[in-house]
Amino acid sequence: MRPNRRAFLAGAGASAIGAASLGGVGAALNSFQAHAADVSGYKALVCVFLLGGLDNHDTLFPYDQSSYDELANIRASLFAQYSGMAGGSTRDRGRLLKLNPDNAAAFGSREFALPEELSGIHGLFEQGDAAVVANVGPLIQPLTATEFENESVPTPARLFSHNDQQSTWMSSAPEGAQFGWGGRFADAALASGANTTPDFTTITALGNELFLTGEDVIPYQVGFGGEAAMLDLLEFFDGNRSTPEGEQAYQLLRAHFESSSFTSSNLIERDIAAANAASLSTNASYNEALANAIPLATPFPDTFLGVQLSAIARTISIRNSLFVSRQVFFVAIGGFDTHSAQATDIPTLQQEIDGGVTAFFQAMQELGVASDVTLFTASDFGRTLAINGDGTDHGWGAHHFVVGEAVQGKNIYGDPPPSNFGHAQDAGGGRLIPGVSVEQFAEPLGRWFGLTDAELAVALPNLSNFTAPSLTFV
Amino acid sequence: MADINATVGSSASEWIRDEFAKPATLNLDFVLSELSEPDAREGDDITFEAKQTPTFSFWINAIEADDQLRQRTAFALSQILVISHVEGNLLFEFPSTVAHYQDILVSNAFGNYRDILDEVTYSPAMAFYLTYFQNQKADPDSGQMPDENYAREIMQLFTIGLVELQPNGEPVTDASGQAIETYDNDDVTGLARVFTGLSLDSDEFFVDFRFIDPAALYSRLKTFPEFHSEQSKTFLDTTIPAGTGPEESIDTALDTLFNHPNLPPFLARQLIQRFVTSDPNSDYVDRVATAFATGSYQLPDESVVGEGVRGDMQATIAAVLFDEEARSDAATSANDFGKVREPVIRFVHWARAFNAGTVTPENTFSLWNTSQPQALAQGPYKSPSVFNFYRPGYIAPGTESGAAGLTVPELQLVNASTVAGYANFMTFFVFALAAQFEEGAKATSFIPDYSAEIPLADDPAALVDHLDTMLTFGAMTDATKTSIIETLENIPLENPDDPDADNRFLRVGLAVLMTMTAPDYVVQR
Repeated sequence: MRPNRRAFLAGAGASAIGAASLGGVGAALNSFQAHAADVSGYKALVCVFLLGGLDNHDTLFPYDQSSYDELANIRASLFAQYSGMAGGSTRDRGRLLKLNPDNAAAFGSREFALPEELSGIHGLFEQGDAAVVANVGPLIQPLTATEFENESVPTPARLFSHNDQQSTWMSSAPEGAQFGWGGRFADAALASGANTTPDFTTITALGNELFLTGEDVIPYQVGFGGEAAMLDLLEFFDGNRSTPEGEQAYQLLRAHFESSSFTSSNLIERDIAAANAASLSTNASYNEALANAIPLATPFPDTFLGVQLSAIARTISIRNSLFVSRQVFFVAIGGFDTHSAQATDIPTLQQEIDGGVTAFFQAMQELGVASDVTLFTASDFGRTLAINGDGTDHGWGAHHFVVGEAVQGKNIYGDPPPSNFGHAQDAGGGRLIPGVSVEQFAEPLGRWFGLTDAELAVALPNLSNFTAPSLTFV
Repeated sequence: MADINATVGSSASEWIRDEFAKPATLNLDFVLSELSEPDAREGDDITFEAKQTPTFSFWINAIEADDQLRQRTAFALSQILVISHVEGNLLFEFPSTVAHYQDILVSNAFGNYRDILDEVTYSPAMAFYLTYFQNQKADPDSGQMPDENYAREIMQLFTIGLVELQPNGEPVTDASGQAIETYDNDDVTGLARVFTGLSLDSDEFFVDFRFIDPAALYSRLKTFPEFHSEQSKTFLDTTIPAGTGPEESIDTALDTLFNHPNLPPFLARQLIQRFVTSDPNSDYVDRVATAFATGSYQLPDESVVGEGVRGDMQATIAAVLFDEEARSDAATSANDFGKVREPVIRFVHWARAFNAGTVTPENTFSLWNTSQPQALAQGPYKSPSVFNFYRPGYIAPGTESGAAGLTVPELQLVNASTVAGYANFMTFFVFALAAQFEEGAKATSFIPDYSAEIPLADDPAALVDHLDTMLTFGAMTDATKTSIIETLENIPLENPDDPDADNRFLRVGLAVLMTMTAPDYVVQR
């Protein structure tokens, strides 16, 4: 079905030209404007999604004594559970790793720190290759606690719900959304001729990711271990092609698995046939490109995130054989929904993030593309400052990392709210009303990727509601 | 085939009444028996294999149990009231707890949904999974609040959903056309107070697993009033007065959810999706929701099933299966009708169709966890999260069904990686590769019996017609038939280089695999 899809798109293009000639010069200019993304050189974005909602209060710590004491007091019983860790609590102020941002003056006497589980990212921050963007989350327009309480300003639908807020982070709409901003960014690049085919424009080691889906791109799944899956049975018949019958059987079987003669008017059957066709041909193309890959020397940790980022790094290493100049990647790990056992679970998860992200940055340096590949974190939401015994509940805004040599690092963008209750961005229980909308966070990434204002407006529908100056972290 | 023959001559109404009457085939006894074997332990810990026993039990019952509709209904419920013991989850360590939960769904599959809500809420499995195990009342001194996890998900996923629904499942909209949300965070924090004070059945609230009677792990939870919130609990326009104890509070909360107008259509649409079609029209949802709400349904032979009480599962399942939208040619031939057969169901279908020899999943490693993309991308009770393997509202981007706005949940599992993964997974079974590459008991586990198919190997058209009866129930397209027949005709029955080679088996295997990977099999219509 992939070829049909292209034919369909080509047809749409032809009618668009017809419309331009009927509609006059204005329409033609608009259509030119829409295809103006800068696609020179190579650039890639990598989204690291932390499923379940990473606790922002347990990631970016207040470090000046009085702010730290406020947090430690509110979270006394959780901090006590950290004391049970082998080697003692990594939440003790003396063990936190202080951040020394170039824009420290913007925060007055307030200071910030990361836990030692994030020591690699702390190192990247200090050397200028990573930044923190504070209190990011879905918003329709700027919002204060009073406005939230009075319901006087529109807010995103289905707040605090996992699947809906994941979807909203990725696409500005709750579950059921069709296109993510990673996919929209890729659409724009593709329309400007970035890649020979749409097939390898958005890539994941997971599944059918909304973030990576655009009008013209759907995510391609790379295997964890390297090669894309091929059909065992076809490989078996490949060995029998010396006789005419053997060759004939092979070709018939291949055609069957590609559903190439299958016809139906049923939409779901047509979708399955399309998936069959796409699977075999794209997997074969990917493996052909992979055959020229030079193994990376950088070791990746043997974690779920490490394995995924290793597969992404390997894919970036064959970018020339895949004929792409713009790519968007998506990886994810779960376990962050720490309603319970937070002190046991979060340190290990943070180590997994840290090990994966730092290895990935080194691999990009090895490939000579560390300034062409920008990685960022994302999550369903942050969590409550209040604790429920041994965990925390669903929140809203959260702090995120941006990593790469293109990043204006060693800076904290946005403003981390205080670690107490009742402030202007407390939606209750220390759930943070975001100070930076996800779309404001996405804007500089899109601009760096090469998008025009018009293309950004398509990908980020609420961006025009925010008048604050654009963030400049990349 | 025997099952198909058994059905011929009896009416569909008789069939479903028989299914409702069959005793439940359960899981806990099997799992406890396996766990009592000496080799189920390594020191203090249960072995990795023993931790998979709930999965073994699922496969055995799904394939061999006589109460097929009950097992199938329980599996559908397991995708709505989700727990998961996928490796890495706490429940992986507690196989008896998982089996106990499986039995709640199997035992109550033809009972009442109110009882299901009760038993699920009091199950150790759900309490572990959604973290209200040992959940405590608020502590004003420390600012500690009750865990909100179960309060939120029981509303969003198990009972009422996020937006107000009409009886036909369509959203209620406000003056500006916007859907109206059923609850806000205040409802969640109010309801969270209800699910406090629950722990395992022993003397202590903060019990240590090492010293507990193991039976507590598969017994109803116990309430500990001193840890239950004494505050008033307000949610969904209901207020439970201050000082109400745990059991009464839970009863009131579950009654409130159960009697909410959203529940019948919310559940009806998902059950239709699990059995019949992915994007049912609103009239169909309305009829099934009515059967759920009234608790009765009239079968084609004019007998009535259900006890006439809201939440009756027999009336509901009958309404799902007997609706004209499920059975009439006009409905089922529509371009938007049908569903992607769930990968787990496809494998079970194969094993049943070809009487797969020894059903010993413990000897077939690839069945231990089928949730990886290189396997089935779906495993029973092994979802990655409480949101199941796919969402009921999933509209697949970049597809024709998506362009038409159809919800097709199972398409969430279909992609370049899983298409090949499924075909390869089935290749191992269809071609009996275990017999070739394994030894001992592993070499005889799940070996198919093609004795009815081998005699047809020299007549590809007859073989294909036979498989159309067995697997696609007469829905195989001419294109698929031709594709299979032409391929088989190029496989010589005898191999001149190897007189012992049995290409009849090869032909049958090819025909089975080609059928089960064709779109007209993958989609059930």
